[in-house]
Amino acid sequence: MTNIAIVGTGQTAHARRRLDVSQAGLAREAVMEALADAGLTMADIDSVVVASGPAMFGAVNQPEKWLVDALGARFKPVVRVTSGGGTGLAGALAAMNQIKGGVAKRVLVVAYDKLSEGALQASISTLYDPFWGREFAVGIMGFSAAYWRARMDRLGHTEEAAAMVAVKNRANSMLNPKAHVKKEVTVEEVLASKPLCWPIKVLDVPPISDGACAVILAAEGDAEAITSTPAWIRGMAYYSEADNAAHRSMLQSEPLKIAAAKVYRASGVTNPRRQFDVAEVQEPYTCFELSYYEGLGLCPEGGAAELIASGATQMTGDIPVNPSGGCMGANPIGATALIRLAEAAMQVTGKAGAHQIQGAELGLVQAGGGWANLRGVAVVGSTKD
Amino acid sequence: MTNNATSTRETMGSMTSRLSMPYTLTAGKAMGTFLAELGAQRIIGSRCAACATVRVPAQDFCGDCGAETGELVAVPSTGELTGWTVTERGILAFVLLDGTDVPLLHRIVDTDVSSLVLGARVSARWAAEPAGNVMDITGFAIDAESTVGALAPTNELLAPIEQLAYRMELTYEHSYGHFYGSLFDSVKNDRRIRGIRCPSCRNVLLPPRGFCDVCFVPTKDWIDIPDTGTVQACSVVHIEFVGQRMTPPYVYAEIVLDGTATRLIHSVGGLSAEEARSGIVKPGSRVKAVWSDRATGSLADIEYFQVIDGSA
Repeated sequence: MTNIAIVGTGQTAHARRRLDVSQAGLAREAVMEALADAGLTMADIDSVVVASGPAMFGAVNQPEKWLVDALGARFKPVVRVTSGGGTGLAGALAAMNQIKGGVAKRVLVVAYDKLSEGALQASISTLYDPFWGREFAVGIMGFSAAYWRARMDRLGHTEEAAAMVAVKNRANSMLNPKAHVKKEVTVEEVLASKPLCWPIKVLDVPPISDGACAVILAAEGDAEAITSTPAWIRGMAYYSEADNAAHRSMLQSEPLKIAAAKVYRASGVTNPRRQFDVAEVQEPYTCFELSYYEGLGLCPEGGAAELIASGATQMTGDIPVNPSGGCMGANPIGATALIRLAEAAMQVTGKAGAHQIQGAELGLVQAGGGWANLRGVAVVGSTKD
Repeated sequence: MTNNATSTRETMGSMTSRLSMPYTLTAGKAMGTFLAELGAQRIIGSRCAACATVRVPAQDFCGDCGAETGELVAVPSTGELTGWTVTERGILAFVLLDGTDVPLLHRIVDTDVSSLVLGARVSARWAAEPAGNVMDITGFAIDAESTVGALAPTNELLAPIEQLAYRMELTYEHSYGHFYGSLFDSVKNDRRIRGIRCPSCRNVLLPPRGFCDVCFVPTKDWIDIPDTGTVQACSVVHIEFVGQRMTPPYVYAEIVLDGTATRLIHSVGGLSAEEARSGIVKPGSRVKAVWSDRATGSLADIEYFQVIDGSA
């Protein structure tokens, strides 16, 4: 099997509203940074994967055609991948498969969304079947809050535990130059913040962001020639579950467990808590980070509240989760999963700057699209195996 | 968002769904300058610093070589016709403005279609009241007398228009199909909820469907389902958003109706704001449908679910 590495990453300065660039200009900014990081130009790129959220977010359908101009990608293969909040990781997986399939040696993945432009919750509500639930949908927030409420009863995922996630990730964001929410909060402030969809409160929710991320993937042999610090992708998977299959409790994400098991097997991980030096998970609301601790095997089922309270997932803990600040620092939905991958790659190559976990060699990445239906996991390392 | 089922019992054909979405689109610097300058009846293009191609509207980057364009230039309002087509909404045309390398897509106005020939000289027609969008040029008209203009440097440019208000109005006709058609025909006319049983796992699936998602075998028997069930999960909606159906606070709920194995997405109502906020509706709460006065053939025929005795 061909080993594949990340040889360059780039991110825009994420913001609530970027008035200075169009959607295409935003994507370009991340690409230019990734190319500079890899020491490459577009002439060196064989193929481009564009990953962005629902067209309804930005009112531009088939945006990849617009990006051909903005990226200088004419006469190259350009395809678009979209999969909700997991879009960026799904795009990276498509790029990996192009390299594995032998049709490209170097693939650029660019993921973005410019969420300041549209009506977010109304757009997300159109993910629902028009006959079954759309009229009652509250974007994904109503659903997410409802199953957090159920996990409170069954798994002890309290409001206080979720508030600790907000406190941790917002504090970590202070160290990340790309994050645009720079405000520390306390558990008390989170608990007292305005309810949006109780138990989800304002401070459990990430910002609405304009932002883009780009990652360049290359195959073994080529990768070492491009950079002295490749981040090797040790495994990556993206799995699904039927939307309304019988007896789905939604307490745990079934596809997350499947994806984690597959990727851990591929990368030789048998004790995730001990073996990973760092994790970047996509937490569209604080409650999801608790759920993913369990789904990823960082703690036993029902152990998430204890794990966050123990401090183990802090920057200084034994399994730091989201040193970048995660989605709480910036959440351009289509890009957010690729940002998690890029941040994990930066960690294992020592490029994470002020939010670097010293000596990190093995990083865990998680991403999800749709509501509990599509989940992805990746493992990146400083060495091939 | 509104859903209005308009079909009758005999023809449970399709449900109309209208989406109406507001946007504030960002033009970027070059395009924003182009739009602003149209208000002064000036056309602004961009010249690529690397390959020297000139395009209009001005762009921040070059579609030919991918470089940043850098320089903005004033483009003449004259050019030649390089292609056209006649549509219901008038004549669409490509116009290669003098000094540029990429044709501009726009309209032909004040011109008889029979007089159009490739290479014809055209010039811009301007709107009396500029609106800050590309229709500040109403179109191009044949102008045989026009001389070939030249690019000029830009002097003081107006500040770019940063955002454009836009609204996307989309109307869909969603076909019910056999399974939704049968269910919502019964809901609309008989206030009867019907699911379907998988012959393999014996689960009753709602909404009914042709295949079981788990066993992937054809489903078989239609089953009448009571309008009572148990809340599997719920949250208290306080947020307000575009297209919202109810006034917050109210309870979003995923409900498993008695005898079924799947989730129905709806709301729990009949609560005061204080009751909704209090969290008295919780996983395990027993609920019963409150039917609407309207018969639309959709889930909105149930106004909401109300809590009944016997909660877990």
